[in-house]
Amino acid sequence: MTATARSTSSRNAMDATRAATEPRLSVEQVSYAYSPNPQQAPIFTLEATSFHAKAGEVTAILGPNASGKSTLLQIISGALHPLSGRVLLNGFVTHDLEPRARGQRIAMVQQESQLLFPSKAWEFVMQGRHPYGRSLRFETDNDVLIAKNALAQVGAEHLSDRWMDQISGGEKQRVILARALAQQPLLLLLDEPTLHLDIGAQVDLLETLRRLAVENRYTVVIVTHELNLVGEYADQVVLLQKGKCLRVGAPANVYQRDLLEQVFQTQLTVELGSTGRPRVSILPGSGS
Amino acid sequence: MPHGTGGAFFIFVGFAKNHENIYREGCCTLKIFTSSLFLRAVVAAALLYVAPDVAHSRAEQTPSAAPAKGSFRTVQDETGRSVRIPVPVRRVVSLAPSMTESIYALGMDDLLVGDTDYCDYPADAAKKHKVGGAINPSLEEIASLKPDVVLVTKGLNRLETVQALDRLGIAAYATDPHTVDEIRSSVHQLANVLGNPSAGEALDSELLQKQNSLRDRLQNSTPKRALFIVWTDPLISVGKRTFIADALMLAGAVSIVESSQDWPQMSLEEMVRLQPEVLVFASGHSEAVTRDMEALAKRPGWNDLDAVKYRRFAVISDAVNRPAPRLLSAVEDLARQLHPDAFAGRTGTSKAAGPVEKN
Amino acid sequence: MRPLTLSRLLLQCVVLGAILFCVMVLALKFGAVHVSLYGLGRDLLRVFLGKSTEISSEYSLILNIRLPRILLGVLVGASLSVAGTSFQALLRNPLADPYVLGVSNGAAVGAILALLLEPHLALTPEIASVFTPLGGFLGAAIAITAVYFLGRREGRIDSSTLLLGGVITASLLSAIIILLLTTMPSSNVRGMAYWLMGELSAVPSRPLAWVLRVGFLAAAAVIYTTASDLNLLLSGEKEAMHLGVDVRRVRLIVYIAASALTGLAVAMSGSIGYVGLLVPHVMRMIFGSDHRILIPASAFGGAIVLVIADTLARTVAAPAELPVGAITAIAGAPLFIYLLRRKLA
Repeated sequence: MTATARSTSSRNAMDATRAATEPRLSVEQVSYAYSPNPQQAPIFTLEATSFHAKAGEVTAILGPNASGKSTLLQIISGALHPLSGRVLLNGFVTHDLEPRARGQRIAMVQQESQLLFPSKAWEFVMQGRHPYGRSLRFETDNDVLIAKNALAQVGAEHLSDRWMDQISGGEKQRVILARALAQQPLLLLLDEPTLHLDIGAQVDLLETLRRLAVENRYTVVIVTHELNLVGEYADQVVLLQKGKCLRVGAPANVYQRDLLEQVFQTQLTVELGSTGRPRVSILPGSGS
Repeated sequence: MPHGTGGAFFIFVGFAKNHENIYREGCCTLKIFTSSLFLRAVVAAALLYVAPDVAHSRAEQTPSAAPAKGSFRTVQDETGRSVRIPVPVRRVVSLAPSMTESIYALGMDDLLVGDTDYCDYPADAAKKHKVGGAINPSLEEIASLKPDVVLVTKGLNRLETVQALDRLGIAAYATDPHTVDEIRSSVHQLANVLGNPSAGEALDSELLQKQNSLRDRLQNSTPKRALFIVWTDPLISVGKRTFIADALMLAGAVSIVESSQDWPQMSLEEMVRLQPEVLVFASGHSEAVTRDMEALAKRPGWNDLDAVKYRRFAVISDAVNRPAPRLLSAVEDLARQLHPDAFAGRTGTSKAAGPVEKN
Repeated sequence: MRPLTLSRLLLQCVVLGAILFCVMVLALKFGAVHVSLYGLGRDLLRVFLGKSTEISSEYSLILNIRLPRILLGVLVGASLSVAGTSFQALLRNPLADPYVLGVSNGAAVGAILALLLEPHLALTPEIASVFTPLGGFLGAAIAITAVYFLGRREGRIDSSTLLLGGVITASLLSAIIILLLTTMPSSNVRGMAYWLMGELSAVPSRPLAWVLRVGFLAAAAVIYTTASDLNLLLSGEKEAMHLGVDVRRVRLIVYIAASALTGLAVAMSGSIGYVGLLVPHVMRMIFGSDHRILIPASAFGGAIVLVIADTLARTVAAPAELPVGAITAIAGAPLFIYLLRRKLA
């Protein structure tokens, strides 16, 4: 076994014992506040929020702008220290992990990646293997294989030799996702991944995410404000408004008309589709 | 110029030009360097270099014999350094125009094998082998001349040059005169160092005689308060510790500048407050100075200086800028312009000092 | 898909090394004094064969004057280029180089202050010889720290703010240099002003030469260990962090090491601009943005460029010597404009 395969399998062995019984991700009463200047009282961007997620589940953090969604995601990823509470991933506190250990377990997909110099798609995806190497290393055949697989899983093998700045937004999003997959994470986090995509690409992405979550046993947490995508594809919804967590549950439970109207400040209707998934429609001429 | 390498470079650039975005070509290094065109260019360049070298080497004489081990003596130069000089001295390189002039004044110019680009007096000095500027001479040129001693002066040359010469084992003798007397003794000592004391004594008494005769003539004249102008924009004069300031005193003037810096920048208001009696310019072209004075007279601030308003200025040769024997003739010239009555002797009508061209 | 492998890296380094060697040999040949390579080679052979008495006088000229100068050019050129590559990666700005960021000026101020202080302190000869480069390093470190803090906005490095901070720092330090020069005794000013324009004729003493060599290797090696991290930093600090890069540690290490490189280079040879800016660019054009090859390539490239520039400085206006900083500026500025236009076209 190569060194990287060994490390991955040992990590998997440690984590696997817990996977079956406990929720993989536990967000426990996390909150966040900051003071713009020392004299002012701190502003709470996120108040005590909790939820759990299992392997293979897609959780959506839903809410209007400035509801604290991104803050919550950053805390889950371990990049931000919460003011109170903690986030446990298979029993490890995420923000206590070292960057390398964190990179092997948590993968973050953010919006438009800013690239200083052009690079090819495969180079980009290979970056996902970085947490598995020592400092002065060259990529092994195993790394190349994993990167190829990652591209294949998002249906982007044909983009492998293309330059990142010459592909469309949707294709770029797929390559960014492939890089996250190359990290072979336990937890896959996405911050507003559908922002610049057309509806076809949006559906594509969510379908892929759901499939990958089940196939590779990822825990997927996605931040978005797209009501219907969430309604259709999420297993669990965390509803936020102005930093407060209003409800956690399956979409059908969370999508109550009064609740949604209060949160999104607009009149709408909620219907249950044939699959048992809620569908939200706006009422024309409304909006307070 | 290395045309072969130039050719290879352009071939390479041409290859790179063919690609859309030049940042993309991160892969084709090997192709570039093994392309037959490039290789051919490199081989051609190599042949172009080596061939003339081979021809030159065949034609060159046998290498010079090892230098004869003569005797040495140690002297102290004017900055306090101990300098080990071979005896006798046969080859001298001068890194300052003043040192070059001194050597010629001593009549020892046959020892001079190299000087700087700026050594222009006397005319013969311009024909010597040049080693570069005073501040940035070529060490290689100096070394290739195999000098016994290199002459420098602290007011012009750099410490780094002296240090480099030390490291190469080449003796560097530095002068640092701050008064006219020191210039005289410096030249005298130089003659001793270079192995011809009698020439030094002869020149020394000649210069001393000139100095004394000047002093005698001027002993009854009141020194004029003068401002020596090095540059007008910004206004730069000479400090009181410089040999120029001392030369002014010998000429019957006194510099109104009290600064201890060598080339202090002065404020015009301060000069107006002090109101010097006369302005002194050192230049090879007095017509140009006259023109500049007219221009100065029209400028605010300058026009508040009485010396500018009433055109009281003197122009002397730029020999005064070099601490060498020729300085004395410029001093004498200035004395004549400032105190004509001390020199008139017979017909004694003095007039307001005006520009008198003398070189 | 062709990831970088060790063998490819080594091959490219060998090729670059060969080019550097050729350039050095040519630099040995060109100069105010004519030297024949054939004769030099013959003399070297004689030394090896033990027939030292038959060496021509040219040999000592080369050994004592030209060779140290060329070697210093190699060291300074490599230092400035590696520093430039590091700053460009760390600050995610292709216009970053020690000169533009004001780090060179900081090193110059440090070196000048060290020179002014030295006569007043009783230093042992060993410390005295490295005092000026030490001053240079401190000056560089202070400058880059100041620029870094000036470039922060909302807690993150903002590229254009940073560049602005660098320009401001550079001009402030320039003013300080001029102030120092006007208050110094005149005899030092001339030398200082000339040195500030960049020159390679200062031959370091033995302890200093060792400090330079070891310092360069140590700093460059340290930066090289972060090469993969730097690759990821190009995508953004947040992303790099999520990909397992300890951003704080990498930033600290690279800043210190790059400042050390700049400080040493400037303390030895004054302000030489454009080398740290353009060599990484050109090397990126040839080798790509992977720092595992880019860093050694920049080192070789900088060495080659500076040795060529110094040879020109020695020969163009012979026998006078031009400051090498002027040559790099005259050649560098048009090249930079050309590169800019090609990129935009």
